[in-house]
Order: sequence, then structure tokens, then C-alpha cells
Amino acid sequence: MMTEEFEPKIVAFLCKWCSSAGSDLAGVSRMEYPSNVIPIQVMCSGSVSPLYVFSAFNKGADGVLVSGCHPGDCHYIKGNYYSRRRIALLRELLKFIGLEPERFKMSWVSAAEGTKYTEVIKEFVDELKPLGAQTKLRRNG
Amino acid sequence: MVALEDLKQEAKNVLEGGTVKYIIGYKKPAAGFMAVPAFFHKPEDLDALVWDPTCFHNLVLFLKDEKKRKLGQKEPDERPVGIVVKGCDSRAVNVLLQENYIDRENVYILGVSCGKTGMVDLKKVRKYFMGKIISQIDFNENESFTVTTTEGKVEVPATDIFADRCTECRTASPVIHDVLLGEDSVRTPENPFGSLEEMENKSQEQKWDFWQEQLTKCIRCYACRSICPMCYCDECVVDTINFAVYPDTPAEEKAQKIKWVEKSPTTSENFIYHMVRAIHLAGRCVDCAECERACPVDIPLRFLNKKLEKESKELFDYDVGYDIEIPALISSFRDEDPEDFIR
Repeated sequence: MMTEEFEPKIVAFLCKWCSSAGSDLAGVSRMEYPSNVIPIQVMCSGSVSPLYVFSAFNKGADGVLVSGCHPGDCHYIKGNYYSRRRIALLRELLKFIGLEPERFKMSWVSAAEGTKYTEVIKEFVDELKPLGAQTKLRRNG
Repeated sequence: MVALEDLKQEAKNVLEGGTVKYIIGYKKPAAGFMAVPAFFHKPEDLDALVWDPTCFHNLVLFLKDEKKRKLGQKEPDERPVGIVVKGCDSRAVNVLLQENYIDRENVYILGVSCGKTGMVDLKKVRKYFMGKIISQIDFNENESFTVTTTEGKVEVPATDIFADRCTECRTASPVIHDVLLGEDSVRTPENPFGSLEEMENKSQEQKWDFWQEQLTKCIRCYACRSICPMCYCDECVVDTINFAVYPDTPAEEKAQKIKWVEKSPTTSENFIYHMVRAIHLAGRCVDCAECERACPVDIPLRFLNKKLEKESKELFDYDVGYDIEIPALISSFRDEDPEDFIR
């Protein structure tokens, strides 16, 4: 019997105005990309609380992606700037705790960048595959 | 060096004059030698007031109790509360002022300088004096403490029984005060984040093993949260009151309630709790290390907060508790914030 390849589960927090529309574009343009993503639409990348990320890992995500509009393009003018700062701190904290830094990613994907979205996901999946399942922060009791 | 008589006199002046409601300070404990927090309502009580290297408590904690108490009173006494603060504690006052949690008029700050030394660490003192009975520890003019034991007085170099945080302290004297006692000194530690180095040099797996071992111990007593002067939320995400489930809560209502983190002290849930706490204290923690001292199972909680303090300094050049005019760390941004990690 062939051993099945590990398929990572990615939770992606996509901002409604850019990244979510970008992923939509990738879909309607029939671009191919791995189906490992569970997209969650949020109003703004600035609304992603660190708790969402912890919770995703806690409930079994192998990787978490936070994606928003490019700097300067935020629908709410500055939400992504706040997000950038918060996510930078969160990344450092997760690294300090001992989680592999590859498991947590942030990206800027605009509504026109369907191609970039597929690339981000492809890369993310490729990086996660060798790491195997995320068991560190997964609920264990 | 702070003359205790001067401190008592200043305290007496404001208490007798009616400028303040009461004074939060330190007094000798009923047993042992480590000072305990005390509330002085009458001028004559002030004879018990002490200031020595065992006054490690961060009294700013009691300002949040005061605020909550005042909210529940119909006609609250609007006079300020007198409080004895060290350098580190004064930054905690600054953070509360910066966040508009308290007003400057609500507090009368009796600043005391730690001079060239700081606070002692109880564990280090016990180890150093192995079983000897200590009655008193005093500041010296130089970088040492005078420890009085049953066998007489000994001079101990500060570095031997210093609390870890004091070796990395930059504010030996309060940055905000109404009265300042002792010298106004600025300290420049060689390595303000030195304690983190060992941890940071570990591999990801070693880091994980370390925290796994530490956080498995957590019994979720929330002492770290209760002792923290910054943890003032009425409702905490880890034990929500609004989302409380009662025996008669209908199933459909229960289903709607968000459960971010389980209450049971399992390792994974402990991780979530401590990471949430760390991130909520980013740019707010003044490194008073009270969480670590209060922890009944000795989790080195200070590391987590210190790490984020370091990152906020290095990535965003943000110093906690020095300037009350600047916006808080995570409610502000700069165009040049690093984004090299973003694809």
C-alpha cells in the first residue's frame, strides 16, 4: 500500500476587501492551487486578534495565514498597519515558545492578485509538508 | 539613599493635611523579614511605614482596586490616594495614565529611589544565608546590602542577592512623582535583555521542551493575572463572566457561546492562556516581575513578557512607561515598521 502524503491543514484569515477577493479571483479564473486552505473571511487584517491564531492552532491547524491589503490600500485606511505590528510581535512570541516559524505566515494580497494568492498557498503548503502535523499547540485534553 | 524619616515625614504631611485619602506603603510583616503592603489611614499608623530592599511588591496593583471600589460608591471621596512607588512601579503608573485608566489627580506619588541597588530576591537570600534567621535588610551607599541576622550584621554585594529584574533595570528612581526621596539616578545596564540570551540561543525544539515542562506545571490559579497591575479587564477571555454557563442555560445558548480556551489546566490550554497574557502585556509590561514571584509553581513568566518588551524595543523602538503622551504600542504604527516577514 502506498503511504499517503501528509496534507497540511491551513487556516487563512483573509480580509474581505483584498485577500478574500483575491482568492475569489483565483477561483473564478480557474487557477489551480492546493485545496489545503480553510479560508475565513474577516473584515480587516487588523481585526485578526492573536487569539484567533492561537485558537486555530489549538483546534488543529498545521499552519495559519493572515492576509490583508497592501500597505496604503486598506479599506479602513490603516487597519493593515496595526495588523503588521501585532503580527510581528505574535510571530516573535510563537517563535520564542518553540513553534516552527514556518507555520505562521502573513501576506499582502490585493483583490487583483489571484496569481499571487495561489503562489502564497503553494509555497506555504510546500513548506508545511516536511514539518508534518502540528501537535504542539493542539488541544490535548 | 532614602532616609526613612523623610519618607515618613512626607507621608505624614499629606495624610495630616488631608491631601490624600490614605497611603499605600509597606510595613514589617508579622513574621519574617520581607516587607508587606500596608494601608495607612491615620497619621499615627505611619510609624510602621518601612522602606528597605525587601519592598518588592508593586503597589500600583492597588490603584485598580481603588478605581473599582470608587465606581461602586455613590459619593466617592475624590481625594487622591498616596502611594509609595519605586522606579519600576512608577512606569506602571505611567502606563495606567497613558491608557487613561486612572487620572493624574487620583494619585499622589511618593517616589522612592532604589539608589545604586534594588530589591532582593527572596530565593537568592535564602540560598545565600542557608537557614540563618534574618531580621532586617538595609540599603547601603555603595552597591551592597547590610543584612542583619541573629549572628550579627553582614555586608553582602548587591549582585549576590539582587532580583534578576533589578540587574536589567534602567529606572532606579521614579520617572513620575509628586515627591522624590533619594537621588534621581539613571542606570544604564550593560545588557538590558541579558537574561533572555540563553533562551534565545536554544533551538526551536529545546525552547519547546523548556516551555512544555514549565507550562505543564501551571494550575491556572490566575495568581499572575491577579497580581498584575496591568491586568485590569473586568472580564478576561480565559474565564468569561458574560459567557458563564449556568445549570438552566439552554442548549442553544450554550452552543452560541465562544469557547476560546478551556478552563481545565491541560498543557495546550495553559499555552494559550500564557501566550494571550503575554501578548496582552506587550508594550505594557514594566517588568516588575510580580507574576513570577506570585506564581506558586515557579514558572519563569518574566521571560515571556521580557521577550515582548525586547521585541517592541528592537522592532518598534518603543519604551514602556516613560512617556505618557505617546500612543500605546499596538494602537500606533510607523511607516517604517518592519515587514520583511510578510510575503
